[in-house]
Amino acid sequence: METLITDILVAISMGLLGAVIFSALGLVSGTDETATLAPLTLLVVLLGVPPAGVLTFFLAGAVAKHMTHAIPTTLLGIPGDTLATPLLAHATALRNLGVPHIALRKMISGAFIAAFIAVPLAVLFAVLLAPFGPAITKSAPWIFFAAALMIAYFSPGRWASVALLVPFVTIIMALQAVSLKYDARLTISYFLGIAIGPLIADLFASISPVDNKRMQRDSPRKFSLSPDVRSWSGYFPNPLKVLDGTQRKWTAITATISSATFVFSPVAMTVLMGEVVGSRVKHAYHRMTTVLAARNGVTEATYIAEALIPLIAFGLPLSPVAAGPAAPLFNAPPRFTIDAATGQVNNLHTMLSHWEFLGYGLLAVLLAALIAYPLTMNFAHRAALFVSRKLSHEAIIATFIGLIFVISIWEGGIMGFLVILTMGLMGGLLSRHFGFNTGVQFMGFYIAILTVPALLRVTGLA
Amino acid sequence: MTKPLKLIEVWGDTVDSRHLLWAIVIGAVISLTAFLVAHHFLLGVVAQPAMAGSYAMLIGLGGCLVAGGICAKLFAPKRVVLEEHNSDPHWRDAAMAELAGEAGGLGKLADLPPEVAAEMREVGLYDLFADYEKKLEAEARAAGTSPAAHASPLPSK
Repeated sequence: METLITDILVAISMGLLGAVIFSALGLVSGTDETATLAPLTLLVVLLGVPPAGVLTFFLAGAVAKHMTHAIPTTLLGIPGDTLATPLLAHATALRNLGVPHIALRKMISGAFIAAFIAVPLAVLFAVLLAPFGPAITKSAPWIFFAAALMIAYFSPGRWASVALLVPFVTIIMALQAVSLKYDARLTISYFLGIAIGPLIADLFASISPVDNKRMQRDSPRKFSLSPDVRSWSGYFPNPLKVLDGTQRKWTAITATISSATFVFSPVAMTVLMGEVVGSRVKHAYHRMTTVLAARNGVTEATYIAEALIPLIAFGLPLSPVAAGPAAPLFNAPPRFTIDAATGQVNNLHTMLSHWEFLGYGLLAVLLAALIAYPLTMNFAHRAALFVSRKLSHEAIIATFIGLIFVISIWEGGIMGFLVILTMGLMGGLLSRHFGFNTGVQFMGFYIAILTVPALLRVTGLA
Repeated sequence: MTKPLKLIEVWGDTVDSRHLLWAIVIGAVISLTAFLVAHHFLLGVVAQPAMAGSYAMLIGLGGCLVAGGICAKLFAPKRVVLEEHNSDPHWRDAAMAELAGEAGGLGKLADLPPEVAAEMREVGLYDLFADYEKKLEAEARAAGTSPAAHASPLPSK
């Protein structure tokens, strides 16, 4: 009993911490989910926070970020993070019509409802899949292979992404062989390199006279911040009242669908679900507001389900979110480990029961909603003004450069840094030129460590 | 600081290339120094080397934030942020034209559930859409086609 109370207290405080940190990060555009969630979750794991606290930190962080990311997206017209990009067009149209506050309210109310739906559904789907867990764990190398092929085919690069897996995986294997020679066992350096790839690729491009010309600008970017309109009383507007019946229905349906289809990329699901909803709502105004609510709901549901389902059912990172931003929940040696050869796992999968996943999952969503929802509803305008006027892009880049150095040197010294630099440049360029996006790249890492060794063993070509 | 800015677009926003260079140096030096110094001292204090590494990482990440803070003080954003006072009619018209051209078209106010129509009245968009709908119908009549043709996907450009 006493341990339960301690666990709950830890879960509450870690959830609050995650919600506060990631509510703030949601305001800052360019703070990619993986580049922020993965290293901070890893830190929480390695500092020895109990399993319940690790889970609430990650989930509350992800949920809060996908609420506050609506602020820059709707008020400034810049996407708050990677998952906000598919929402930008409709948010901008409503901004041009003079009602950005409507876009903002629809987005975060959609997030709120979808997040609460996604947790119990994710646990339910995981329980249904759990009987197949041992079989799936045993054939993990092949399942990862199939998942990677599918995720690659559904990425913007289509067949190019499928083909690019071959050289990409080869580079990861080569980097691993070299770093092992110097006794460096690396994981997070690969993920961070992939997530931060576009920045690294841009920095290399900016010092080349060839590319620099393309990047030059005559004048600073202009943003127009929309005025503050407040049309409700109290501190905590009811999200169910912000959405109408059609919107509640579509938010619930798309949250359910995207919870079940947990192996697809969150960006792809967000785009696809928006198209499905958009084609069924006749009036343009109603279509935009409904799609915004549903799409932002999907950004929550995909993150929750794609982290929880593989975690509960298999303990293996079998989804783009689990393989990327949520990777430290599965694999954070020495505390959380996955043995590539035997498929033996030792992580939150083995440490928390189904009921604990459900309870702490709901707690995390509740804490995120308590922090991020009223913050967004009441202080969106001031927050957007502060971030856009005080926080230069140079400062954001300085922070991420620091992150690259600290994480890579911490994990593998000079070798870690070389890996992050190489992965970042490769990944950034492949993503920009071929549509070989980060979701596929994360899966490429698991192909290199799981599938290729198994393939060599089976074929006897090692 | 009297030299003109050399603006380039990096990672989705504009920066000055000299400021960027300094930001990279500041970010790398401060965070790495914080991490390495912390690591060095913690190894002697904390029993397990792995935990010493984790705490050093925490301090290193603190260093990243300090570096970000210093750069925010040193380098002003290269953005022009204008506080609009309700939208320019020009933008409204452009947005309406774009919506009418989208797949699915503008749709009809008559088809809306009453609560949505009420919401549109509340935010002051009902009349705008009603006027635009009438305009489209009038144009359609003038062109001798049914108004429904406008609801079908039009080539917008």
